[in-house]
Amino acid sequence: MQADVAVLGGGSWGTILAHLAAHNGQRTALWMRNPQACETLNATHTNPRYLGETLLAEGITATTELGEAVRGTPVVIFCVPSKASRAVARQAGEFLTGDQVVLSATKGLEPESFHTVTELLRAETCALKIGAISGPNLAKEIVRGQPSATVVASRFREVIVRATEALHSSLFRIYGQDDLRGVELAGALKNVIAIACGAAAGLGFGHNVRAMLVTRGLAEIQRLGVKLGADPLTFSGLAGVGDLLVTCSSELSRNFRVGRGVAQGKTLDQVVEELGEVAEGVNTTRVALALAGREDVAMPITEAVKDLLDGKVAAQEILQDLMGRAARYEIDFDYTAEVSS
Amino acid sequence: MRAEDQNRAVAEVVSRVVGKVTKGGSQSLERALAETIYHERKRIERSSSSRSRAKQLSAWDRRRSQLVRGSDTVRRRVLEDLVTRFTREVLGNFDPKVHAMATRAVPFGLSALLHASSPQQLLHRFPQLGLDDRIEVNGAVDHARALQDKGTLVCVPTHSSNLDSIVLGYGMHEQGFPPLLYGAGLNLFKNPLVGYFMRNLGAYTVDRRKTAPIYKQVLKEYAGVALEFGYHSLFFPGGTRSRSGEIETKLKLGLLGTTIPAYANSLALKRPKPKLFVVPMVLSYELVLEAETLIDDHLQAEGKARYIITDDEFSSPLRVFQFMRGILELDARIYLTLLPPRDPFGNPVDEEGRSVDASGREIDISRYLCAAGGEPADDPHRDQEYTRELGQHLVADYLRGNTVFPTHLVAFAAFSALEEMHPQRDLYRLLRSGAEDESLLFGDLARRCDGIREQLLQLEAAGRVRLSRRVRSLDGGDLVVHALRSWGTYHTRPALSRRGDRIDATDRNLLLYYRNRLTGYALGRREEPCRQT
Repeated sequence: MQADVAVLGGGSWGTILAHLAAHNGQRTALWMRNPQACETLNATHTNPRYLGETLLAEGITATTELGEAVRGTPVVIFCVPSKASRAVARQAGEFLTGDQVVLSATKGLEPESFHTVTELLRAETCALKIGAISGPNLAKEIVRGQPSATVVASRFREVIVRATEALHSSLFRIYGQDDLRGVELAGALKNVIAIACGAAAGLGFGHNVRAMLVTRGLAEIQRLGVKLGADPLTFSGLAGVGDLLVTCSSELSRNFRVGRGVAQGKTLDQVVEELGEVAEGVNTTRVALALAGREDVAMPITEAVKDLLDGKVAAQEILQDLMGRAARYEIDFDYTAEVSS
Repeated sequence: MRAEDQNRAVAEVVSRVVGKVTKGGSQSLERALAETIYHERKRIERSSSSRSRAKQLSAWDRRRSQLVRGSDTVRRRVLEDLVTRFTREVLGNFDPKVHAMATRAVPFGLSALLHASSPQQLLHRFPQLGLDDRIEVNGAVDHARALQDKGTLVCVPTHSSNLDSIVLGYGMHEQGFPPLLYGAGLNLFKNPLVGYFMRNLGAYTVDRRKTAPIYKQVLKEYAGVALEFGYHSLFFPGGTRSRSGEIETKLKLGLLGTTIPAYANSLALKRPKPKLFVVPMVLSYELVLEAETLIDDHLQAEGKARYIITDDEFSSPLRVFQFMRGILELDARIYLTLLPPRDPFGNPVDEEGRSVDASGREIDISRYLCAAGGEPADDPHRDQEYTRELGQHLVADYLRGNTVFPTHLVAFAAFSALEEMHPQRDLYRLLRSGAEDESLLFGDLARRCDGIREQLLQLEAAGRVRLSRRVRSLDGGDLVVHALRSWGTYHTRPALSRRGDRIDATDRNLLLYYRNRLTGYALGRREEPCRQT
């Protein structure tokens, strides 16, 4: 198969990316594990399990052979869950060469190492021209043909150019930038705040509280991000506040639902069982706090989310603690300083 | 560089430098000439003796009028002439026979190679300055050595002292490495004897007084051409000796960046062994000869720090002798640690010279020079990014290859104690204070040292640092005693001194210098997340 773009991972987002590329006239390979799903897609241009009856663009060839998808394909997009990313990267490394452009479309941090997905790609493959795709992109809306925008971040201009060629259209605007670190961290950390927003909704709160959590949540994930080397402006962009807004407003987001369920009295295990899968934010909360401890960065909302998920303290009490803190300065020239005369 | 290669090298450098300038058209040519004339005139006005100054300035005036009145052809000729002059000045001779003799001479001729007066006298008086027992070369030595026949070596060591060049020259030769081409400051060549040795050891000259951008271009192009000709080379990515005592984290990517174009050119010209192997190296000293001057310079108010320091301890034969005697008395080692070599893109390289990924799979590195899809593509910005990432690998390698001595460990422990005593003070105030009641208890310091040592042992087990024999085997109290003794054998004022069961920070600046060697290991960090109310 001679493809222009390969997408690895046949979940909803991976399939949509393949669709967007094919829609742009790119010969697209989509790697999926399930042979049945592969056959169905090739025959009917649908991915029933994740996208129902949505008709996908022609030009996508689904395959269960990783090598077939990756070998010689100029642009390769990884779109598998963060837990599986290292293993898939290692396998794909067998077929990758130094000229290929490799992108990560997964938001999340690896549990033990705290690495971002592009760090895994760098570690496990020979690829150097690496970037990330991240932004406010709810699969459900894109599938209905609604326009959206996203960020492609890379230190290599070629990566941004090729990704834009592959995916940019009037329905999917791409904005390039070079703060790869910031974009990936923002994409992962926003899920924690989404849990907090879900919890607030579960307690019956409205827009004021959501706005407070989103804004102050952004402040603290930005604080951590900057300490880890990110550009603060990234958090004001699509990959930061943009994505945060969408994830915290969508009542159907998995992270939102986790927060709401636990705030309403269910245990984390119960909620996860109901969902059918773990939301990334649960794991990211733990990773974020470990990083915050290492970097000496205060993250009160994240800590509150952790307490909430642990189930040891009632949601109401957690919120009271948060609200009961001393008054502080908003613009963080010295976050630790309390306002006093 | 061997005589037979020099003319070709000069022609190549001139062609490339001038070529790059003229590619930008008439304006670029004009600007390059104007800049060079401006910088060189300023340098001459400031420095030379009045006799040669007038003569030199008139030559520059001639060039200036050629710039102003001449056609592009004339200007180009002037530029070519200038670049040729610069390049010839940079060049050195290379004679393998002299190299062998020089390294045998080093133990006795140490001072001769260092100072510009009366080497004979010193040679007669101190024949026992045995360098050979003190220098220990360890790490990926066999690995790096195996690569010398498979391509061109680019050695990139850390830089703490002017003794580094001598340790490197001696150590590498002893281990069976080929002579290395490297740039040495012009001031070191002033003594004809030293100059002769330096040139024949593979040094080319770097005139740090020349600020003209074209001169820097010449240096870079020359370094690249030398690599393409297959000359194994060395340079310090840190650029200058570390003033703060820290292991370098901000590398100068200019020279490092010559490796990729050199590789690309060698590939394009189908040279038989086009590969380049970057060999990270760390020099670790228990005591640093110029520590006092260096930390003093580091702490200067912004703008007053000096990039080139020529009047430090290195230029005093007495200080050098005291230093070497101190090293002998302490039975100390100077470690030259080689880290596993990498290709110019940062990948590890095996003993056959093959670049490999984390799973040991071979990488075809020529593909990095291609656009996605496989066609070779010229992209300087992409290559700069590759070099930047190589630099990140080097920084991590340096931390791994560093050997920690008691002086560093004890300084770190003592400095953290001082910081804890004065949590409100910033660094400068902390350094300036020092009342008697601010002394530390010996027992407390010893305990802190034990704690730091524990952390270091864990890091060593994880392969993230190396430890000297004493750091590995002595307990906190003995480490403090040894560090005190170390500083006392050499430094003007010891970093710490003992008064019964109390320890005073006698020279806080020096203490900071030695403490800084452990920056980058995250020692003493809190384990718990920072909880706020």
